[in-house]
This record gives sequence, structure tokens and C-alpha cells, in this order.
Amino acid sequence: MRGVVPFVLPATLLIAVFFLAPAVLTVYLSMTDLSVVTFRNPGWSGLENYRDLLQDAFLGRIFVNTIFYVVLTLVLFNVGMALVVAILTSLVPHRWGDLFRALWLLPRMTPVVAYAFIWQGLMREAPFGLLSNITGISQHWINAAPWATVIAANGMIGASFGMLIFTSAIRSIPNELFYASAVDGASTWQSIRRVVLPMLRWPILFVTAYQTLSLLTSFEYILLLTGGGPGFYKTTVWSLYAYLLAFGSYFGNVQFGLGAAMAAVLVVIGTVMAVIYLRVFNFRALVAKPKIEVV
Amino acid sequence: MRARGLACLLIAVLVLGFQLAPGHAQAPRTITLTAWTVGPDEPSRPRFTNLLLAADRLNADLAREGAAFRIRVEGSFDTTTWDAYLRRVLLAFESKKGPDIVQASAVLSVTWAAAGFLAPMDEFVPKHKQFADVVPSLWQSVRYQGKTWGVPQDVEARPLYFNKTLLKRLGWDDGTIATLPDRIRRGEFTWDDMLAVAQEAVTKKIVEPGKGYYLRPRVGPDFNMWYRAFGGRDSDPDTGKLVFNRDAALRYYTWLRRAVDVGVLEKDRMDGSWPRFHQTITDGKVLFFSGGSWNWAEWASQYLTAKGGERWLFENFDYALQPPTRRGGKPITLSNPQAYMIAAYSPNKELAARLIAYASVPDIYLRHAVASARPSILRSPIPFKDTDPYGAFVQDVSYMLVFTSFQPPHPELPKWQESFFRGVSAVISGELTPDRAVAVVAAELQRLLKDQVIIE
Repeated sequence: MRGVVPFVLPATLLIAVFFLAPAVLTVYLSMTDLSVVTFRNPGWSGLENYRDLLQDAFLGRIFVNTIFYVVLTLVLFNVGMALVVAILTSLVPHRWGDLFRALWLLPRMTPVVAYAFIWQGLMREAPFGLLSNITGISQHWINAAPWATVIAANGMIGASFGMLIFTSAIRSIPNELFYASAVDGASTWQSIRRVVLPMLRWPILFVTAYQTLSLLTSFEYILLLTGGGPGFYKTTVWSLYAYLLAFGSYFGNVQFGLGAAMAAVLVVIGTVMAVIYLRVFNFRALVAKPKIEVV
Repeated sequence: MRARGLACLLIAVLVLGFQLAPGHAQAPRTITLTAWTVGPDEPSRPRFTNLLLAADRLNADLAREGAAFRIRVEGSFDTTTWDAYLRRVLLAFESKKGPDIVQASAVLSVTWAAAGFLAPMDEFVPKHKQFADVVPSLWQSVRYQGKTWGVPQDVEARPLYFNKTLLKRLGWDDGTIATLPDRIRRGEFTWDDMLAVAQEAVTKKIVEPGKGYYLRPRVGPDFNMWYRAFGGRDSDPDTGKLVFNRDAALRYYTWLRRAVDVGVLEKDRMDGSWPRFHQTITDGKVLFFSGGSWNWAEWASQYLTAKGGERWLFENFDYALQPPTRRGGKPITLSNPQAYMIAAYSPNKELAARLIAYASVPDIYLRHAVASARPSILRSPIPFKDTDPYGAFVQDVSYMLVFTSFQPPHPELPKWQESFFRGVSAVISGELTPDRAVAVVAAELQRLLKDQVIIE
């Protein structure tokens, strides 16, 4: 046991400093009345911030928005499109597949603000907006379709992560399995359905769980594209609401305690979601030792 | 080795001898004052550059006085957003490593004073004769609990603008258009009248649906002004508490909902986009629009340079007070004066106050007035030349300051404003009925402000 400690200690320290401590600090802040006025001398407020949140008439709306945003982005892009792109680019010669994936990665390498500006440029009214010019319908497309915009803008980047994971998983499938399915007369679709997808179960679990947590806490695209609007909390999600409470007031009305309470709730939601995923995908079976060892 | 040692010794002796030689004047030391300022509108840049000018004059006086130091002003003018700027200031205050001078809305001096971030100015104000020239009523905007927490930097009016060209297309003649500001001033043209005219313009396709009336796309002090225009009071003078008047809020929310329902106001007007607000207005597509006097300079210098700048504005736009809600009522506007404040941790408070005093003189303020179209904070006349931009406009809108009011000085005012705005946003977007919005806002204010708000 003593011999294990040097191996485990660095990772444990990193987790403690960068994951555990912020979570504990967030919970601590959520139990104070820390705001602009009390910045120097915050008082202990116990569960008052949580009581405030429960009485917030708009919180239900924010929660529904969050579920809507996470589920749609996840299903349509981060897992759905990622899977489709990974499979399609695996069906073409490697050279072309690699090139396509490299191009798809470009937005991920673009600074978020620059990427959001590009989208804003695309979606403006004519004569400035590309989409307005192409469709002949001059409107502010972000205002006209705010959810579609933020989900697509985020999803186009999010899909590239799953695309890489799924592609590498597909490439690691032994060719013998494809040969066998071909000999059995399987069509391409049947090979995908019966060979590829079952072998991707573990990567799909990983991407789904990771991206769910990532989407729960991600708000930068929404902040830059719609600011949570247009209008009344139209695209405001939980993490954005927490950010706005804690940092984002026009009048400098920052409410760190309340924002921290929202963030603490998000930590709980994320943990619960992770546990659910592990159960749904039967994590233990996935990481169990193989019954047959191929040497 | 010995030669090198001798050379070093010789140099040291020469330097020391030069320093001690009679008649050699010691160079004055430099004290750096840091100032953080914000627009975010670009034309307000003199809020910072005027301090640089003031520093030059102060240094000249320091030289005459034989002072052993000079000052250097460093700092920034922020053109991003209020959110980002105020966040930066807050963190600087907390770390005590930020600026000596901060410029922000005067009403924030109350919040920051309550938080212990600011130095009181009462000791310094009487020492500098320049401060005696500041319009006395403006000092109220920086007073809290009997102390003065800043120096007014500028002031503005928030007019109701209208597009004369579109009114002409609607059949109004020049004479009728020219008298509209006076009719509003006399209380003969109300919010309902404006709504009717805008609705007619939409019906006759003079303007596109939703472009009959524009108001700011995000939270701001203007909502206090409109709430007051509809009969609300936001502060109780006896207790100093904030007030939410349900009837006035309902009247305002109902008017907004009606404006959306009849196609005068866009359902997504609260989209937070200033560029879209300014672009559509300066494209000449909006009939009535509430803005600030500084917008005049923004439009001329940033949106209309190709069309002729201010000349185009005079040809196409005119301005008036915000109308009353009933005939014979009093029109209003609101001023959100900016102020220079001094950080509590600054080691150079006295010097910072003197620098601000040097910036508070007519010929330096002139630079701000002609850049950002803001009326003067000083009693002495501003020496406008005929060729100065915005001079005529500034003098035109100055009468509005007679009708102006300020935001209530309360450290928790931002919470009131955020909640009230949530109601506005919910009603315009159709998420809540006006009745329901009033109930929700009242409950939220009670929850957030507890005994600091009177719900009536």
C-alpha cells in the first residue's frame, strides 16, 4: 500500500487543488452574503441564498432552458453529428477523411470571441449579413432564431471533440470484424449498426458524460451571441444566470453569494448526471477485465 | 584590474561631485496618479484626456510653486461595457492596487461609499475654487450620509428624439413638426399621442412594424425616468428607502405591452444590442426613439460620417423632453451625472483632488462638450466657438436640465433597477402580462431588499 502513495499523490493533489478546493470554496461562498456592499466584510448567511433561489420566480424558466440547450446540443451535435462525421470520414480514403477532420477543427482553434463575431456577421440584417443576403430575407437572424443560433454555433465546435474520439475508436476496431461482416453479406449500414456502434459504446459514454458536464457549465457562446436574450431570459441557461448574478450587472450589482449558490447547485446536478450516465452505460461492465485475452 | 577599479572610483567621485555641486538643481520626483475612466461611448474619451491636460497645467503651477515633485497621469479610457469596467474597478478596489481616480456614474458613489471603497471629498472640495463653479444641484448626486464622495464630471439629458423626415411622409408639415418639442414641454403631447402617431406610421407602412418607437435595449437608468413619467416614485425622502409603486409600474408595463400589440415596438427590443439600436435609427428607419444627448455625438461621428454627420442629424432628427402621461402633465428627463471619485487606499488623495479641480474648468470641459455633446456641469459659460461641433445642439438641449431628476441615492438601487427591468423585459417579450409582471417584481423586490423597500 505504501508503495502506491507516490504514484497516487500527484494526481490526488491536482484533483484536490483544482477540483475539490474550488467546489468547497463555491459552497462556502454560497453561504455568505458577499456582494459589492459587503465585499470587505461578508457575513455568514447560511442557507439564505438557497432559499432566495427557490423563491426566484424565473428559476424554473432558466432550468428548462438549460435542459433544452444541453439535450439538443448534445443529441444533435456533440454526439449525433460527431458520430455521423466520424463514420462518414472513416468510409472515405484516409487522406480525404483526415483533411476534412482537420478543417472541421479550425473553429475550435479560433478564439471564442472571434468565432462569435463571425457568427454575428453572418446573421445580421442586409446588406451586412451573409445569411440575409443569401436567403433574400433581411432580418436579424440571431434575434429571429436565437436557440438555433447558439446551439449551432456551440455544436459545430463541440462536434469536433466527439468526431476525433469516435474516429480513433473506429480505427481501432480490428479489420477482421469488418471482413467477417462482409463475408456474411452485411451492407455498409448493417456493418455500422452491428459492428461499429456496439464497439463505440465506451467512447459514446465518455463523450456523452464529458460533454453533458461541459455544456452545463458552458455559456460563453450564449453570452457573446445573445447575452441570454433576446428579451426575457430567452436563451439564459443556469451557468450564464450564475455568471450574471455574480459578475455581470450593468450597475455593478454583483451578488457573489447568490451566484455561488447557483454554481453549487450546478455542481450537484453535474455529479448526479455523471452517476446516472455510469449506471445507464453500465460502467463497471465496460471497464471489467476481458474474459478472453488476445495476445 | 587595478585600472578598472580606479576608473570606477573616478566615475563615482565625478557623479557625486556633480550632484553636490552648488547650483545643481535636483530633478523633481514624479508622482504617478492612475485614473480609470469609461465611456463606453467613444466620444466621451475626454473624460480621460482632460485629466492629462489638467496634469500639464498642474505641473506648470507646481513648477511655479517650487514643488519638489511633478505628477504623471496614467490610466485608461474603457470602451467595452459597463459590466466589464465595473467588474475591473471592483476587483481593483478590493486588491487596493487599482487607480487613484475612478470615473463612473455618480449614483455608484453611494454603493461604493457604503462598501468603504471611496475617500470622502469634503476635506478637499472647499480648498479648490474650481469646485465652486460646479452647478450646486449636481453635488446632490454624489452625497450620501452627509458626506461628499465624488466630483461631478459631466451631465446629460435623455431626450425623446423623432425623425422629421418620417413625420413629413406621414403628412405632418414643417410648422407642426417644429412645434412638437414645445407641445411636449407644455404637456400637450402625451405618451398615448406618440403611440397613436407611431401606430399610424406603421399602418401606413411609413415605418416597418416594430420601428415606431425604440428604447434602449438593456437595463439602464432610463427605466427610472419612464417609471417616474408614468407617476411612480422610487425613493421615499423621509426614510431614504427605495419605493416600488405598483400602479405606476402597471401603467408603464401596460403601455409597453400595448406598443408591442399594435406593432409600434419590437417584441425582441430588449436584445442587448447597442449597434443594432444605433444602426437602425441612423438608417432613418425609426420614428420615435428615446436616447441620451451623447448619442447625438455618437451618431454624427460613428454612424453618419458618410452622410454628412451632424448636418444630416439636424436635417432629419429633432428632440424633445420625455412626454407626460396625461395632458397638462409635466414632461421629464433624467440625468445620470458622471463623477470622478478617489479611492480610499490612494496615498495621493489631496493631489488627486487637485488634479480633478484643474479638470473642472470651462475651457477644459469644452473639449468634453464638443466631443460628446454633453451640457455643462459648470455655471460659467462654456466658450463654444461657432465652428465647434454639437455646440448648437448642447445649447438647445440645456433647457431640459430644468426638467431633470436624478437616480435615488441608495446603495441597493441596482437591485431595484435590475428587478424593474426584468418586468419590462418580460412584458415586452410577452412572457408575462403587465399585471403578473408587477406582482413578480414586487415579490422579488421584497425578497431582495427586505426592509429597504416600500411596496405601495
